[in-house]
Amino acid sequence: MVAHRKKKYSTGEGAQFISRKAALKKLQLSLNDFRRLCIIKGIYPREPRNRKRAQKGAPGIKMLYHIKDIQFLLYEPIIWKLREYKIFNRKVGRAKAVKDFKAMRRYLANHPTIKLDHIVKERYPSFIDALRDLDDCLTLCFLFSTFPSLPHIPRTQSDLCRRLSMEFLHAVIEAKAFPIVASYSTYTIGFMPEIEYGIFACCYYYQAEIKGQTITWIVPHHFSFEPQSKAEVDFKIMSTFVEFYTIMLGFVNFRLYHTLNLFYPPKFAIMDNPNEGEKALADENIFVAERVAALNIPLSKSVLGGEEETEIDNFDLQENAEATEEARKEIESIKVLKNLFKGMKFFLNREVPREPLVFIIRCFGGEVSWDKSLFIGATFGETDESITHQIVDRPSMEKKYISRYYIQPQWIFDCVNTRSLLPVSKYFMGEILPPHLSPFVDKDRDENYIPPEERALYDQDAVEQMHKEESADESDKESPNKEEEDEEDLNENFKDVEVSDDKKVKLGVTPGQIEKEAPWKKKREERQEYKLREKMIKKKHRNLYKSMMNAKRERGKQAWLLNKKRKLHDEKEKVKTKSKKKINN
Amino acid sequence: MIPTTNEKKKRVSKKNKSSWRKHIDTKDVDDFLEEQRLEQRLGEPFEVLKDEQLFTVDTTPKEKQLSTKEKKRLRLLAPPKCFSMLQSHSKVPDPIAKRNRVRTKDERKCPILKRKEIERKFKGILKYREKQRIDDRKKHDDEKLKEVENDKFCKDIWENNSKLDSDEWIDKVTKRHTLRGTGKLNKIIPRMKTSKNEHVSNIETPHPGISYNPSFKDHNDLLIEIAEKEAKIIKEEKHLNRVTKDVFKKVPAGETGASWLEEMSQGLPNDQDPNDEIEEYPGDNPYKSVNPPVENKKKTEKQRRKQKEQILLRESRLLAKQEKKKTVEIHKLKMIKAQIENREKKLQKQKERKEKLKMFKSKETKQLGQLKYEEPDMVFSMREDLTGNLRNLRTKGSLLTDRFRSLQKRNILAVTARHHHKKAKVKKFVKPGFKDDWKKSVANINICPTMK
Repeated sequence: MVAHRKKKYSTGEGAQFISRKAALKKLQLSLNDFRRLCIIKGIYPREPRNRKRAQKGAPGIKMLYHIKDIQFLLYEPIIWKLREYKIFNRKVGRAKAVKDFKAMRRYLANHPTIKLDHIVKERYPSFIDALRDLDDCLTLCFLFSTFPSLPHIPRTQSDLCRRLSMEFLHAVIEAKAFPIVASYSTYTIGFMPEIEYGIFACCYYYQAEIKGQTITWIVPHHFSFEPQSKAEVDFKIMSTFVEFYTIMLGFVNFRLYHTLNLFYPPKFAIMDNPNEGEKALADENIFVAERVAALNIPLSKSVLGGEEETEIDNFDLQENAEATEEARKEIESIKVLKNLFKGMKFFLNREVPREPLVFIIRCFGGEVSWDKSLFIGATFGETDESITHQIVDRPSMEKKYISRYYIQPQWIFDCVNTRSLLPVSKYFMGEILPPHLSPFVDKDRDENYIPPEERALYDQDAVEQMHKEESADESDKESPNKEEEDEEDLNENFKDVEVSDDKKVKLGVTPGQIEKEAPWKKKREERQEYKLREKMIKKKHRNLYKSMMNAKRERGKQAWLLNKKRKLHDEKEKVKTKSKKKINN
Repeated sequence: MIPTTNEKKKRVSKKNKSSWRKHIDTKDVDDFLEEQRLEQRLGEPFEVLKDEQLFTVDTTPKEKQLSTKEKKRLRLLAPPKCFSMLQSHSKVPDPIAKRNRVRTKDERKCPILKRKEIERKFKGILKYREKQRIDDRKKHDDEKLKEVENDKFCKDIWENNSKLDSDEWIDKVTKRHTLRGTGKLNKIIPRMKTSKNEHVSNIETPHPGISYNPSFKDHNDLLIEIAEKEAKIIKEEKHLNRVTKDVFKKVPAGETGASWLEEMSQGLPNDQDPNDEIEEYPGDNPYKSVNPPVENKKKTEKQRRKQKEQILLRESRLLAKQEKKKTVEIHKLKMIKAQIENREKKLQKQKERKEKLKMFKSKETKQLGQLKYEEPDMVFSMREDLTGNLRNLRTKGSLLTDRFRSLQKRNILAVTARHHHKKAKVKKFVKPGFKDDWKKSVANINICPTMK
């Protein structure tokens, strides 16, 4: 007996990959079903290391899947549903063809449904995983919610997208009321929307931090639907993605609502005792959906209770004193952010995009309303005297109230991005707006030279500082010198004390003195520790670290040089203006 | 004399019984009997019957007029036409008068049992199977009710319900073992390395220049970036043109034939130059062999000796040279070492560079299908399109396309081109019957160019 000869491609890369056609045969699915299954299960084609071997010597480029991926699909229960669906289609088709409408109706009533709950759980084993991957989900849901019914995109799908995305916005709005759990060393923020906005040529970009996960999503501008050419995008595939994402977003919403002590599906306090006329008008589902879409009506809570104030426990732990302090500062800044628009009453004119503005204002604690005929859920009218800001996007208005500011919508976005209330003057009606800067640029990249004019764009404090400096130059130059002198005096006094101590060396008990640690010693220690830590960097990352530090140093040098040049230039200019002034005088 | 065969015999013998049967004509009797039998089967012929028997005068409608739908229903009730062949059409009565019929299931039942059954049903006592059927039906209906629709989310899928599952002190194997009886087996999901490109973020940060109201610097930066890209593309295009299109000489269409003829007739005798012919064949010796005969020249003794000496000398010189080289190489050892080191260093560098390249490549978008991913053009608006406020905003680009491309970039989707179905080319022709010109035959228009 001779040992069997090993067949080519029975091991190694040749055995690891399977072509799409072979996979279809193995799974006994049609191409469309396979595509759908792959998208739902999150299995993508792969690029092998050696294509020739992976394709078993076949020429050309084939779409390859990992054999384990396909085996994983093989055990998926929804494959049976897909097959059932195939048979269902066949039955309905037959009944329709022979005009057996009774049977057809019966079949249609018992249509198979594909449940994706277990796949959501399988792909995202924990809630955090799901949040981490929410970007695509939200973007597509927001996008599809603007679609009419198209071939491959049923009306129900876009309706569901609309419902879920609005519910998610509510969750983000409500999240600020969530108690922040903070211990002494690490400040784990349970839930905090840190939202940044950018309006770009085609859409709004939002970024919020939920449970420590930064979530970015894009919302298209609210314009009428523009048909897309089929050549660019495969609608069927996108629709399948959305099919999965809606299920995922639904469960994420459920969990978010429950962590926020809200009812899911959302409920409103008005629903308990609605006006009878209103209820008679609308179906309850539509009633709720409209109010959810309004974004203006707070949801009713499952557990009633006032807003809990977050407090940090004051443990006297010296090691972490600094960390606690930092945490406290952080929490305070968050508290300020939460109430950024508190006490303000906004009114939106009809030409202003309602949804994004209402969402932002509500997130930061403002009150908002709009024209009654514009959308459901308006709480006060334009005639309300207590309105502080009216958001307007037209060059002029006929009737104006003195009691309120007429500002352009960009003010809201810029306030939120700079995290402070900006002066209104630049944003008045008809004014040419300052540029809307992207919040996504890496502002924190250190050691970069930013000319003071540019810094003023980002930071309002810098402007004030510049002004102060200018004014300080002229008026009081003497005061800082005085302070310095005082300090010197103090130091001299200390020296005297020390000298006098040396003279009296006698027995006796003298009050002990607190040993003062020299600041340079501490600094040196820190420096040493830092160096040691640098040494601990793994070999893998060492080169990267080195190049990073070098680049930083280089940038620092450049920035220093440019700063110096600027300073010299400014001084020269100042001398010039002074001399001019003198001449004028 | 031979009698003619064609002629019929006038007289035939009917002597025997067989010959009688052979020659007797029974057609009239047969016809009669056949007619009688047909009469028996179908009844009397129409000729014999009177008009009253054939027709009835319809004075009042016996049945009301049926609608097509009702007729269809009735037709559905009737036995299918395909079985009509199985039914008897004969009017001849069945010869066996007392034929046993197969009784139906109901008829075969014992009358006592039947009575009992009716009593049981009247009392409402159900059999086991009947009970089960009702139960099953109910269960199915309940399940249907319970099966919530897909868009109703009413459970927390991430909630860990079982205490056993969340207990960190219990071993993994024990958990599986104890869960086996509960009907909810812990499904082990294989930890597969996802093939999606994780180096590309889901939503890439937008360039600040595409803001609806960008600062001058940001917008300028964006435009410069785009212009640079465009310049690169133009340069590439120019290069390709230079290398391919411009390399070849452009010849007008009419001249190609002439140039071809000229090229092909190169080297052939030309009638116009008679001088060439004369030069090629100079007068005296018109014949010259291609391979003239070889002379066998012998070397002299001296020549042979000299040749041998030369060979020996050459060999000895080579040997001496090799010996010298050996001694030199010993002194050269340092240099050789340095050479090897250099080479190794070079190889090391190459290896490092290769690894670096590999790392960069791993971050790139991979090619999954026949087409390669190409970075889409950047979206931007020109300075005159920027209005500076939301009201007059002009949108550029499409979010859906952007998302679709992003999925392709992250290797979640393979890049594919839209498949165009080729329509079969069908040759059209006019059937001969339809060939005539309708203008002439139908409309009777006489188109005459001279009339105009």
